[in-house]
Amino acid sequence: MRHIPEDELHAYLDQGLSRSQCVEIESHLAACATCQANRDGIAALRDRTTALLAKLAPPRSFPVSFETLRRRAAMDASVRRRRIHAALWAASLVAAVAAGWSAGLFMGPAGAARIATGPAAARPIARPAVVIESTGPTATPTLSLSSEQATLRPVRADSSKPRPARVRVRPTRQAAAPAQPPAAALQPMTPPPELELSSIEIPRAEGELEGMWRTMSWDGAQAEAGAKLPHIDGLPIVQVQVQATQQGKQPLMVVAQQLSSGEVIRTIEGPTTDVSHLLSRRAMSDPGPTVSASDSSAASPATPQDPTGHTMAMQRGDRMIAITGALPSDSLLAMIRRLNAEMRSK
Amino acid sequence: MTDELEQLYQTTYTAVVRFLYRKVWDAERAEDLAQEVFVRALAHRPDKPRAWVFAVAANLARDEARAAMRRKRHLTLLKGDPIAQPTVSPSADILVEHDERVASVQEALSTLTPRDQEILLLWDAGLSYPEIATQTGLAMGAVGTTLARARRRLVEAHDRQHAKGSHAAHS
Repeated sequence: MRHIPEDELHAYLDQGLSRSQCVEIESHLAACATCQANRDGIAALRDRTTALLAKLAPPRSFPVSFETLRRRAAMDASVRRRRIHAALWAASLVAAVAAGWSAGLFMGPAGAARIATGPAAARPIARPAVVIESTGPTATPTLSLSSEQATLRPVRADSSKPRPARVRVRPTRQAAAPAQPPAAALQPMTPPPELELSSIEIPRAEGELEGMWRTMSWDGAQAEAGAKLPHIDGLPIVQVQVQATQQGKQPLMVVAQQLSSGEVIRTIEGPTTDVSHLLSRRAMSDPGPTVSASDSSAASPATPQDPTGHTMAMQRGDRMIAITGALPSDSLLAMIRRLNAEMRSK
Repeated sequence: MTDELEQLYQTTYTAVVRFLYRKVWDAERAEDLAQEVFVRALAHRPDKPRAWVFAVAANLARDEARAAMRRKRHLTLLKGDPIAQPTVSPSADILVEHDERVASVQEALSTLTPRDQEILLLWDAGLSYPEIATQTGLAMGAVGTTLARARRRLVEAHDRQHAKGSHAAHS
């Protein structure tokens, strides 16, 4: 007589069998003492498992109202929409900055015209107009100067109010202004400027940072922090964020700076618990897509797939400084040592 | 549609928190994740919300575990600094709240393979065999086999520890 296998008895007791299977098992059980004993043993095992697992319950549970979740879902949806807008905005900003920067390179230090060719313009003040073509957030901007507009003359020191270059960014491709010789027609730049979108996508930080964060000006943050803003000297500041901490202590600060490679590193300073909490949250949060031309080269050799980069932290009394960024850990180590020495000397 | 989700929230929220808690061992985090699961459900409106909710919860817990591993690797705290190192161990304070018996069940559970754990926890969260099978990709027949093994191993591991513990106490 074939006895009922153990797993079938589990499934039977768990009501995981079809009606016909149940009937079959029940009729067998009615006649088989061995299987009855097995069934009772398994029933006891089930009960023990349930009892053991019951001990592994969280100490407390405070469900929020469903209405709260509904509001959060609605808010998330609108944040997603805003993020898309903001990403487009950031992309055009990056394109504008990159183009302005390269225009500066081409034109020389004083914005003076080495490209002062073309029909001599009678205008008293040179007004270079730069048109950037951009097909989308990740497009490589091409830069062209129309013959008429590229009438750059050296700006005399005594000339009244030299005007800055106008930079226009167009989201969609339009016909480039005809470049006629001997006008300066700048072809797509080689190498194209690297667009590091993910790093300057400012609204992302909103999602990553919890609590009451304020994005501040450098001066404002400095005033608040008492001239001890964590940062690496000599790098452009992308963003300064400050969160007040308890007991009127110095706030928690995050300074985002951009390396010449386009990577953004963040320097964090604050009470130890806040910083480690922030770092752990940061590591947990979805690293997100990195829309980046320089991504492959930026990935650290140790963990090539990890887009979040490395984190280096250092304890200073009851406070902690940390640097995060897609850099080799040795670089971060050097940076944090320098930072530590600088902050100590202040 | 939304009412159905609301009802599900009322009936399964605690089970979802418990399910997550047994994976992340942090009550607060488990609640955060559970809320996230339901917020996502509101955005997605899945067809089979109950199974979906647990599937997403399992994914979030997995991501969480991966992030924890990454964090361990990357949060390189520097040695030789004049001040003492901070102890960054998220579970330390939680373990304090547990009494020894709870810790022993936790340890017993950790001796199971991830798959066995998953299926046992899904069953304990109230999912049916077909739901477990769909979510884990197991055949219906294999759910019973896995559960049989998982239960046996959990109880055996726990008893072993208990025996060891009482032996240590007597000697």
